[in-house]
Amino acid sequence: MITRNIGLVLGVFLTISASITGLIIVPNWQFRELQPVKKADGTQYPMPYFGEQLKGRNVYIDQGCIYCHTQQIRMKGYGADIRRNWGTRRSVPRDYIFEKPHQLGTQRTGPDLASIGSRQPSTVWHTLHLYNPQLTSPGSVMPRFVYLFTELKEGEALPAGTFPADLVKIPPQLQKDSVTQLMPTERGKALIEYLKGLNKTFPLPEAAQ
Amino acid sequence: MFYVFVFIWAFAMLAGITMVWLLAWAIRNGEFTNLRQGARSIFDDLEPEGVVTDYFPGEAPLMKQLERRR
Amino acid sequence: MIAEVGVNPEVEVVSRIEVDRSAEWVVTIYWASSIIWLLIASIAGLISSIKLHSPDFLGSYEWLTFGRIRPVHWDTAIYGFGGTAASGTLLWLQARLCQTRIPFAPLLIAGGVIFNLGVLLGAIGVLSGHSTGVEALEFPLWSMPLLVIPYVFIVIANFKMYFTRRSTHTYVSQWYLMAVTIWFPILILAAEACTNLGAVDGVAQAVANWWYGHNVVGLFATPTAVAAAYYLIPKVIGKPIHSYHLSLLGFWSNAIFYNWAGTHHLTGGPLPAWTITVGVVGSMMMFIPVITIGINHHMTMVGSFHHLKTSPTLRFAVMGSMIYTLASFQGSLESLRSHQEITHFTHYTIGHVHFGMYGFFAPLMFAMMYYAMPRLTGNEWSSARLIRIHFWCTLLGTLLYASAMCYAGIRQGFMMNDPTIPFLNIVSFTKPFLMLRTLAGLILLSGTIAFTINFWRIVQPHKLRFVTPTLLNTKRDYRILVEKEKELGT
Repeated sequence: MITRNIGLVLGVFLTISASITGLIIVPNWQFRELQPVKKADGTQYPMPYFGEQLKGRNVYIDQGCIYCHTQQIRMKGYGADIRRNWGTRRSVPRDYIFEKPHQLGTQRTGPDLASIGSRQPSTVWHTLHLYNPQLTSPGSVMPRFVYLFTELKEGEALPAGTFPADLVKIPPQLQKDSVTQLMPTERGKALIEYLKGLNKTFPLPEAAQ
Repeated sequence: MFYVFVFIWAFAMLAGITMVWLLAWAIRNGEFTNLRQGARSIFDDLEPEGVVTDYFPGEAPLMKQLERRR
Repeated sequence: MIAEVGVNPEVEVVSRIEVDRSAEWVVTIYWASSIIWLLIASIAGLISSIKLHSPDFLGSYEWLTFGRIRPVHWDTAIYGFGGTAASGTLLWLQARLCQTRIPFAPLLIAGGVIFNLGVLLGAIGVLSGHSTGVEALEFPLWSMPLLVIPYVFIVIANFKMYFTRRSTHTYVSQWYLMAVTIWFPILILAAEACTNLGAVDGVAQAVANWWYGHNVVGLFATPTAVAAAYYLIPKVIGKPIHSYHLSLLGFWSNAIFYNWAGTHHLTGGPLPAWTITVGVVGSMMMFIPVITIGINHHMTMVGSFHHLKTSPTLRFAVMGSMIYTLASFQGSLESLRSHQEITHFTHYTIGHVHFGMYGFFAPLMFAMMYYAMPRLTGNEWSSARLIRIHFWCTLLGTLLYASAMCYAGIRQGFMMNDPTIPFLNIVSFTKPFLMLRTLAGLILLSGTIAFTINFWRIVQPHKLRFVTPTLLNTKRDYRILVEKEKELGT
């Protein structure tokens, strides 16, 4: 009985092996050889994630930022990504060789973040935006990441193990409920470091400007 | 990169030949004869062709008839 | 006496009633699980939807943040609802078509329990911050074996039934069911290897990710639902499928082309042009199987549309088949680069997904349940009104959802491509449509609740007294029915 309809089983298996070959094996081969490019100052682009930025990347992942934000710039003339100053050039495979897992994203409920670090280098801006997006972007639908920060009232002592240098003052006109300062938690600080580090503007030979 | 192309072509050739062989096998095995009968295989004398087998609860015509007589 | 196709004389004759009796516990448990997961997924979806236009809804708790509740919605809908509904459908349909009892019932029931546990743990894992970060595969790696192992049991049961069947003929639905059992394990293992097990990096991982993501729809959900339609439509109206030749073409073109369509999720992205082109070609070639299947179902239905008034199964099955055609056309066109320039990254994609999943896949699963549950339990659906509510809520909710999201998506896309329009203006433009989507979700949930009530009642042990049974379980009843219908000239 096994020999009957072996054709069906074999044919079905063949169809999926074909696409695995074409869409998984071949692209992996194509990109496996990609290496980072040496920069003039001796560092390389792109850099693998480590330390604070790696921790921050994991916060980005566990908070699910990918469901509203992308990290890929489309080419000039296709969409308006570059004209919106989301990047200076299109994204290419070499930009993502150290991304494990990739966070390319498929929804732009919020703007693209591929080079947010160059667009918004200010820690204060990121703190206020993550704590309460309405403070920097009224009308935004982004959730409040209140739990990534400790709210402090005037004169309140800092939480144990934190540094005054990390304290962020809320501008007086935006203060509410007498919360005047924010101290990021470890995760909040890491996330902001990660976001500040997102920068895909380095010119690469394969990406025409 | 050259080897990628070699691999793609080799795989495509292999897949193509297998598919042609499968088609020939299917024809030899008689898979394409009697196709119309296959469509009828879901019917039998309990639920023959021509009989509707699903109604809203309480709305099968025979039962409506019985209802009226009650 | 079966229709004149070959039989394997060494296989014993198992009556349809015995087949249904053997399936009773296994299939009911899978389908009951699917309804519970559908409720959970719907609530998670509603919360996500409301949070998207009213971000302070339910406060700012980490466990309910949009970035966690949204993937939970998606994964409980696909794996929780889709996985169990499709598995129940596969087992029952295969048993019926092979005319064999369902084997290894205790093992399959245990598998169902394990599967549910896996989805539950996976969802809790995501909510507590252990998402893997890969779309459609967010469940933590340790919970995935709990989903895969039960499926292996199903594959074994499926193969056993198929290779010991009585009829030598393979009905078209069976091709799809066999294909699903071969494709899905390969899909999930390859996908997990490439993403969460790190076999592949960077953008190649993105390609693998969306090869998987689209193939869950195309090689798991779609074939199961199409298999259901190919059986239910002719079975309910009593007419065979219009063209068996076309079904062959439909099946193989589906199998060959659907595999390649996945990269249309990455159009414009950091990939070589060939990967995207291949996805567009695969997606456009899908016109062939979709038109084929559409013609087949439509021509089978011609002359029998009046039965839609009287058969709940048929309503859901025909709704599913028609929306299959529409949603697939929409999807094929959507893959074109010029279309994607506007709609990529917008709500249009979400509109399309729900049009397909709640307009095609879910209704065909419901159709299957409406047909089979009376035959499995020997009970009757308790309320025709609840069935009608379920149907209209499903249809209207889906249409509202799809039109609101697709329209909003197109406008959103045009605005995004105009750099003079500030981003926040685009966000405020979409808000009213996001509220319409929440309304659509509420309508869909109402339909699901109506179905849940009916389902709860039908699984009760013969407690309800029925005045007029739809279900006729004996040969004698059917003979009477046929004679009466001839008499009455219907």
